[in-house]
Amino acid sequence: MHIHAYEKLWLAAAIALILLLIGSVTYGAVGPGVAMVTDSENQIDAGGLDEDERFSEPRVEQVGENHYEAYVVAYQFAFDPSPIVVPEDSRVTLYVTSRDVVHGFEVVGTNANTMVVPGEVAQISFEVDEPGEYGVVCNEYCGAAHHTMEGKLHVVSQSEFENRGEDA
Amino acid sequence: MSRTETTQAPVDEAIDDEEFDPVGTLALIAVYFAILVLAWVYIYYIEFLGRDLVVVG
Amino acid sequence: MSEALRAEQTFADKFPNEAKVVRAAFLGSFFALFLGAVFGIIQTLHRTGIFRGFIASTDYYTVLTAHGVFMVLSFTIFFLVGLFTWAVTRSLDRPLVNIKITWTWYGLMAAGMTMAGFSILAGFTNAIPVSADVLYTFYAPLQAHPLYYAGLTVFVVGTWLAGADWFRTYLAWKRDNRGERIPLQTFMVLTTMIMWYIATSAIAASILLFLLPWSLGLIPSVNPTLTRTLFWFFGHPVVYFWLMPAYLLWYTVLPSIAGGRLFSDPLARVVFVLFVLLSTPVGIHHQYLDPGIAEGFKFISMTNTMFLLLPSLLTAFTVVASVEYGARRRGGTGLFGWLRALPWRDPAFTGMMLAGLMFAAGGFSGMVNAGMNINYMIHNTLWVPGHFHLTVGTAVGLTFMAATYWLWPQITNKPIYSLQIGLFQVVLWFIGMALMSNAMHAQGMLGVPRRTAEPEYSGFDYPTAFGGFEELNLQIAIGGTLLFLSTVLFLGNIVLTMGNPKVSGIAESIRPALSGPTDAPQVLDNLRVWVSIALVLVVLAYALPLAAIISDGGLLGPGVGTYPVWLDGTVHALAETATTAGWMLVDSLTVLGAHVADTLSGVAP
Repeated sequence: MHIHAYEKLWLAAAIALILLLIGSVTYGAVGPGVAMVTDSENQIDAGGLDEDERFSEPRVEQVGENHYEAYVVAYQFAFDPSPIVVPEDSRVTLYVTSRDVVHGFEVVGTNANTMVVPGEVAQISFEVDEPGEYGVVCNEYCGAAHHTMEGKLHVVSQSEFENRGEDA
Repeated sequence: MSRTETTQAPVDEAIDDEEFDPVGTLALIAVYFAILVLAWVYIYYIEFLGRDLVVVG
Repeated sequence: MSEALRAEQTFADKFPNEAKVVRAAFLGSFFALFLGAVFGIIQTLHRTGIFRGFIASTDYYTVLTAHGVFMVLSFTIFFLVGLFTWAVTRSLDRPLVNIKITWTWYGLMAAGMTMAGFSILAGFTNAIPVSADVLYTFYAPLQAHPLYYAGLTVFVVGTWLAGADWFRTYLAWKRDNRGERIPLQTFMVLTTMIMWYIATSAIAASILLFLLPWSLGLIPSVNPTLTRTLFWFFGHPVVYFWLMPAYLLWYTVLPSIAGGRLFSDPLARVVFVLFVLLSTPVGIHHQYLDPGIAEGFKFISMTNTMFLLLPSLLTAFTVVASVEYGARRRGGTGLFGWLRALPWRDPAFTGMMLAGLMFAAGGFSGMVNAGMNINYMIHNTLWVPGHFHLTVGTAVGLTFMAATYWLWPQITNKPIYSLQIGLFQVVLWFIGMALMSNAMHAQGMLGVPRRTAEPEYSGFDYPTAFGGFEELNLQIAIGGTLLFLSTVLFLGNIVLTMGNPKVSGIAESIRPALSGPTDAPQVLDNLRVWVSIALVLVVLAYALPLAAIISDGGLLGPGVGTYPVWLDGTVHALAETATTAGWMLVDSLTVLGAHVADTLSGVAP
């Protein structure tokens, strides 16, 4: 089959481009260590979250010297807890599930983003640095009031984090 | 209209056809390739990896 | 009849029965485009906050479901079946085997789309206890009325029968033409349909085994991850079901309009074979952020997807080379100067060229979507609609409109009412889409979510990196308005064309390729080989993920409830009071339109 020399050149360039893309993604996974949302958590009964040790009381908990876990429930039409409060300069692991339909959990303007599927627990971990406030939106259509579904993520100073229970 | 002209124009001799080198295409597609590579490098390494809250676990 | 006289005959002259089918299919397509455009302008003004008086925000999702289904299922696929009927008949130079079967599949498609469309539109009023506010992706546990799922099924079965019709016609031709290469257009139709059969098997399974029985109350629940995965098994190849007709036009019609010839028939075949192989084992790239699927499967999907870029990149070269050939024959010179020698006053030409140009940009945003980890940045943001309005919206939609200016006279013997308006219309589309899509991509980079009636939130402000949120909203609204105007001009032009008298002497022909089918290796025409490989690849990509999903969560889901959105009467009641009058008008137009479509499709030879 006759392929013109220029088209052969383009074919080689196209394959090089494809390898650049695959290589970049692989670098992202290996270098900075970007990890995809995966099926690491067990299934859960979406109708029985009240009996679940983590999700019956959505909260933030310290689990290591600088490691905090947040158990987040998404439902029509809010996130619990909101705001999710974590201290600066720490590693945060979110466990997010849904009581009802499929939702999204997106920390606006950042790379923290996951689908939230009833019956599944989505787990994502990231580092937080300086204090600040982030908005959280549900970015998957979940019903008639989907556009009102939002939350907050607050990164606060260490002292503010330790004193946070006192205002409740 | 110009359209009827194109379909009634005589078909070229075979010799011309086989010697056709699409240099213009090569030039255009080289420009496109360059744009793609630069845009990708920017959006992946600078935009994406430069953002807050990169998921690492 | 002498050769010279035959060359003067249009498609409508040679194949009047098939021409009727093509016309009916195009009219169904354009009716869907009309409805989709009306919903589109409502959406664009509502979402951007420019005007929220047409509908309540809770009804936005009914509008969005209608816009999605009418545009990407009805407009595109009705056009495809018309185009493919023309292409098969023309390239095999013989009528379809049984025109009654043809009208049957057309009727099934029309019936199915009417059922689905009715179930969606009924969601605007509480007087009818039917709705389908589940969007074009209908993710469980959100549930639609059974009529929605049943309608989509009937529609797809219609397309299956259409494929069988074309395959039968091809087989009849093959018996009479032993040893000949499959004509290129028919080859493209057959390979596209093979891909479609594989793709729709999963969505048919999802609907028939799970979603439809569940909506009828026959099973208590479904597994959301399983039904999502089956949807996206279909949801990626469907974009190639939209694209491949556009490619057929770019490869086999555009070169002749440009005054040139297709640069390489064999490479066109290779591209379509690559789509058969690679379109299906990639659906998981729509689920990169799903918690129920392992990262390893996502990585495999990513590499398959990146290789799926290859047929499109090859198409760019071959199509541009074919057009350049035409430019040089017309006297064009220079490295870039040859572009000036092309027939830019021809709306069919300019429309397809602009569509291709826009596709080049859409390809880039698609690479970002496909890049697994970079998907975190833009998943479910407005970047995604920005991307697909470039691809299905323009590469496909604009190509279909542009091609109509060339093809409609061939199937009706009527010249287009105004080619100048046609030219203005295609350029207007390009400008409107450039504005709207660019702003959508930028808002996506700010984190603005898609699929939402009101993207402003009380608790935070968006970052202002790529132009402010408000300025970008204005840009989206302006772009969307230009697109709506462009659509009205297109539809008006066709309606006025229908009132034109028939003429003779407007037949167009297609020039043979520079490198013809005999230059292509025989194996390319061996469809059985490609089907087998495609099935193997699909099994490799999906067997393990599906097995894992089913063993983890069960066939019917891990303790998940049912959310029949159509029972949410309270919210609807509040919204309905404000908008009843407007929607009664839409309902009447819908009924009228259905009558028109039925009447046209009922015209038998």
